[in-house]
Amino acid sequence: MSISSLVPRSGKVRAGLIIVLVFVLIALIGPLTATHAPQATSFDLRQAPSARHWMGTTQTGQDVYAQFVTGARVSLLVGLVAGVVSQVFSVIIGLLGGYLRGVADDLLYILTAVFLVIPGMPLLIVLTGYLPSRGLFAIAVVIAITSWAGSARVIRAQTMSLSGREFVEAARAGGESRLRIMFAEVLPNMLPLVASGFLFSVIGGILSEAGLSFLGLGSLTTVSWGSMLYFAQSGQALLSGAWWWYVPPGLAIAIIGAGLALINFGIDEYANPRLRTGAARRHAARGSLAAGADPTAADAAAGGTELPAGGAGGPAAAAATTRAGAAGTSGSGAALADTVPDADPVIRAADVTGDPVIEVDALSVDYPTVHGTVHAVDGVTLTLHRGEILGLAGESGSGKSTLTNAITRMLRPPARIAGGAVTYTDADGTRTDLLALDDRGLRGIRWTEIAVVFQSAMNALNPVTSIGSQFDDVIRVHRPDLGPTRRTELAREHLRRVGIDPERIGAYPHELSGGMKQRVAIAIALVLEPDVIFMDEPTTALDLLVQREVLDQIVRLREEYGFAIVFTTHDLALLLEISDSIAVMRRGHLVEYGPAAEIYRYARHPYTRSLLDSLEALGSLA
Amino acid sequence: MKYLARKIGLYAFIAWAALTLNFLIPRLMPGDPVTLLLEGSQGAIDPAAKAAIAKAYGISDDPLPVQYVDYLRALAHGDLGTSISQFPVPVVDIISRALPWTLGLVGVATVVSFLLGTGLGVLLAWRRGTWSDHVLPALTFLNAIPYFWMALILVLVLSVHLGLFPNAGGYERILFPGWTPQFIGSILYHALLPAITIVLGSFAGWVLSMRNMTVTVLGEDYVSLAEAKGLPSRHVLLTYAARNAILPSITGFALSLGAVVGGSMLTEVIFNYPGVGYTLFSAVQAQDFPLMQGLFLIISLAVIAANLVADVAYVFLDPRTRQGA
Repeated sequence: MSISSLVPRSGKVRAGLIIVLVFVLIALIGPLTATHAPQATSFDLRQAPSARHWMGTTQTGQDVYAQFVTGARVSLLVGLVAGVVSQVFSVIIGLLGGYLRGVADDLLYILTAVFLVIPGMPLLIVLTGYLPSRGLFAIAVVIAITSWAGSARVIRAQTMSLSGREFVEAARAGGESRLRIMFAEVLPNMLPLVASGFLFSVIGGILSEAGLSFLGLGSLTTVSWGSMLYFAQSGQALLSGAWWWYVPPGLAIAIIGAGLALINFGIDEYANPRLRTGAARRHAARGSLAAGADPTAADAAAGGTELPAGGAGGPAAAAATTRAGAAGTSGSGAALADTVPDADPVIRAADVTGDPVIEVDALSVDYPTVHGTVHAVDGVTLTLHRGEILGLAGESGSGKSTLTNAITRMLRPPARIAGGAVTYTDADGTRTDLLALDDRGLRGIRWTEIAVVFQSAMNALNPVTSIGSQFDDVIRVHRPDLGPTRRTELAREHLRRVGIDPERIGAYPHELSGGMKQRVAIAIALVLEPDVIFMDEPTTALDLLVQREVLDQIVRLREEYGFAIVFTTHDLALLLEISDSIAVMRRGHLVEYGPAAEIYRYARHPYTRSLLDSLEALGSLA
Repeated sequence: MKYLARKIGLYAFIAWAALTLNFLIPRLMPGDPVTLLLEGSQGAIDPAAKAAIAKAYGISDDPLPVQYVDYLRALAHGDLGTSISQFPVPVVDIISRALPWTLGLVGVATVVSFLLGTGLGVLLAWRRGTWSDHVLPALTFLNAIPYFWMALILVLVLSVHLGLFPNAGGYERILFPGWTPQFIGSILYHALLPAITIVLGSFAGWVLSMRNMTVTVLGEDYVSLAEAKGLPSRHVLLTYAARNAILPSITGFALSLGAVVGGSMLTEVIFNYPGVGYTLFSAVQAQDFPLMQGLFLIISLAVIAANLVADVAYVFLDPRTRQGA
């Protein structure tokens, strides 16, 4: 490992580390360089900084520089001790509660809640009020006692989510002791959390010590930044304008606090990639509000072989694992894409009668990554006709989601469209260049003409508003002339069409089953009777029986309304059954495209054939 | 309302724990208050008076459980003992005099700071990837400044040098307290600078946490769907993203409120503001243990009540907690 790989890439973390390092050096070396004893008085009363006293003197002629550097040592030490003690408490209580569950957890949870809610500073003041001698160590421990609870709660939650994971199950099955599992398996997987909690308690420790000392409740015989401020305040430093006396300690506390917090930012960003700022985010796509790290971006960039392990399981990482899990169940391992040889794409003429509604012409999408540019979609040309069901097949990372996101203008940075055109033609024959639309034009065409149904119904509905209001907002925006009663009628009617009791219009997403949620999502997509609906694996997250019901419903509704569907999935068997045409993608290219029946009978591209063979081996086509 | 019932139960327990902690601290801490007081007086108090002082503290040689029952009985009658430093004024009277000041100052400042911070956090999340990201380190710095130091600097600049604000007290001394416009005006004027200090000291924390939560929520499918629906950005941001992102802020209220209350107490001390924090400070300095404990109890109960309010608000904001209602 080279030195440069140890230097963090984030500017914030670098700045934070430099700040902390500087203060640690001041604390270590500073006192050795002081020419006066920190508490020695002299006749140079309240003097401004000079060659003799680098940072001036106090009211009693003490050297401020000597006090400041000694104070750095004391304050950092108190912060460090408080941080360590508090984090030891948090880890033990959080781990025990989160792992053991049951009564032990209930008790520890209540204990944590007590310390979390009872305000720390008053408790600290009362506790120190009773301390017979206020040594530094005693104060640090008292600070730790009042500050461990927040971090313990976070660690408990993380332990709970980790203890269901495979590696913990494996360790349990392997007969490892509980203690070993907790401290050797679970704990190392949440080091970022522990580190972040530690830094927070160090900041808390430094601030609390300063506050206590400032109130005259600290150890006033020891020089710390807090006690400097205490004496500055009681010595009328402010009114006499002795800024050199009270500015440095306060500023130092703020700067080191900021430094520690900056390092914490870096840890948060490591654990949750969506929070990153800076270079990677600069290529913001126009018209995109939600520019979080897109799981599809991660899996396209990784070439579909493996998903990056997303730190301590932030939501992005969790989303990525869900997708990987879903892909894993398809039975076609990612290895397939690598073993099958490349060949020329096979494109056949469509045999669909409708007029074209969406034409994709040589569309390319790039992801800039640290290892160079990945062409997630490379020169894809497709035509979707009115009323057609186009099945888009391919493994995870083949670029199919990137393709549909590019067409619907839902791409997230850093993905960008590198070339090509997407044209939408409405019923009157008016053609619109989708890629050139401004925000306003885009909003106008969205949902009225092009609607979307996402893979995971669990996450596609807003968890905190009712089903009714999620129908209502879209109708209100696109059909402003409809009154509230008519809007509700419309919503109820569409719920009925997908087989959901219209009385459930006031229900919240969590009150519906997975299948019902997906049907609600479909009903919302239908409500403005669009020309095209993009369905991104709409049935993958559902169990088989429900999957069948939803699928039948989609096909039936298509007959009824006559919209076209772009149906994305890795499940070729399913596509063969419902699609008019099929497009097979691999590594960003279209490898085979044509009528579904022909592809089933005479698949010509070796990749498509291998996909079909693997289906037959699994008995899916029997 | 199973969720709410459980929360109320939990807070009732926490309140009981605070009562008990308050009972145990003086009895279990190594320093015995009477001895501390005698030492502190350096001979000014006749050691012979030790028994009388102990009695005034409500400290007796009875076994702990008996003392505990007595303590609870006294509390039930609203009796928090008698102040030492302002003998023989009951602790309850001193606290009820100080409490309105703090509730007014810290209450209003906390609400303002929460609204300001949360709003700004959403805005920064929306505009991320632009210049706004550079505001974050500055906010981090602001968040790390100790309240009392910020108060010192503000007093120095705004009231000592510029003379814009009074630098101490809750109202003009020459005014007679009453519901006159003049007196109320004076109260507001005196509260302004401490309030600014508390808001400045605490809003950055809300901004940072709200920004991070909103950024995380913006990556959720339901936000993408809202965008695909062609809803105006403002609607997507407020009804879909911020509406969900604010939930953790409310559950994290306890954590932040504790810090704000602590910081506000120090702020009161700097401004000689006649509230609970300043009274606690004076009580500690005068080694007025009954007053100290009474204040600790009241502050804890107030914070517990504030948390309960936050949890009730949470029930209204998150339908998932209303399950099984």
